Amino acid sequence: MIKEKIDYQKILFNVLRIFMGVIFIYASYDKILNPEAFAKAVYNYQIMPDFTINIIALWLPYLELLIGLCLITGIWLPGATTISTSLMTIFISLMLFNLSRGLNINCGCFSTQTTQDTIGPLTILRDIAFLLSSLYLTLRIFFFSKSQDF
Amino acid sequence: MKIKNISKKIYHKAFREILWQIPLITLLAFTISITINHLRSDKIPLIGNWSVDARFSDSDGKTLVISLEKARELFENNLAIFIDARPKEQYEEGHIKDALFLPWQEVDTYFMEIAPILEERVSNMERVKSDNGENKNISNAIITYCDGESCELSHELALFLKEMGFNNVHIMVNGWTLWHEAGLPVSVEKK
Repeated sequence: MIKEKIDYQKILFNVLRIFMGVIFIYASYDKILNPEAFAKAVYNYQIMPDFTINIIALWLPYLELLIGLCLITGIWLPGATTISTSLMTIFISLMLFNLSRGLNINCGCFSTQTTQDTIGPLTILRDIAFLLSSLYLTLRIFFFSKSQDF
Repeated sequence: MKIKNISKKIYHKAFREILWQIPLITLLAFTISITINHLRSDKIPLIGNWSVDARFSDSDGKTLVISLEKARELFENNLAIFIDARPKEQYEEGHIKDALFLPWQEVDTYFMEIAPILEERVSNMERVKSDNGENKNISNAIITYCDGESCELSHELALFLKEMGFNNVHIMVNGWTLWHEAGLPVSVEKK
């Protein structure tokens, strides 16, 4: 009985791990192709100093890509899930901050197009779902796993 | 006792691993991104120019920005056509007097409707300009606007209009707020 329960959790863990991996790789795709447009999306958040905008716009998509690859392949999972949970927390906080001050801007989450993915309750709910998935992976790795589990 | 039991469950190896995995992943991403950007034909500078003039420029890098004062002067001389790039709800709540409604997010739907009106207004404006021959230092303009310093809708719309063959297209950055706060003429459609 106990063994069955452990297997079920392992399946859930692996499904969420691959799901989040695909999400991160998909999220990085358009940003890597269009760094200039993504830099505008980063600028529009109006939070980071101007001199950091382009560096963030270049670095973040590759960070997402690497996290996605780590999650899918299962390597460096403690580091990848910790970064993924931190990133999702930062993204949601930034969106909530900008919504609260009335900025109507493009999320820049999956697309760099200004006509798509405007920040709103739906984008925040979607990111909360991703955060919960990522948090589950992190907690399982740190608190309920042994090295042979993943 | 309970806390002790929980702490026993913590996977300590994972805590040790993040100490090198997090810096490694972030540094690897940084190195790859800088290297690939350097090799790309469409590379961007590491430190960009985010001034208003640079942000709202055309494909040749020429700024499209027009000041409130200049826009006001053209408006008073009937030498400006304002185009509101914001969504319908915001346009109906208030817009610059006589501004055309062409929301960038639905430009495909509205452009064919607006194009003949815009062309007619442009030819009217050209007539006003030629009648006003003594004031040759004032040129006419199509001015797009939205709201907020970082609003890109007016910029995208201005580039689109230029692509469609319209000349003298400009952007009044943060246009609605500036115009409204200056107490200049506005129209409201919503009761």
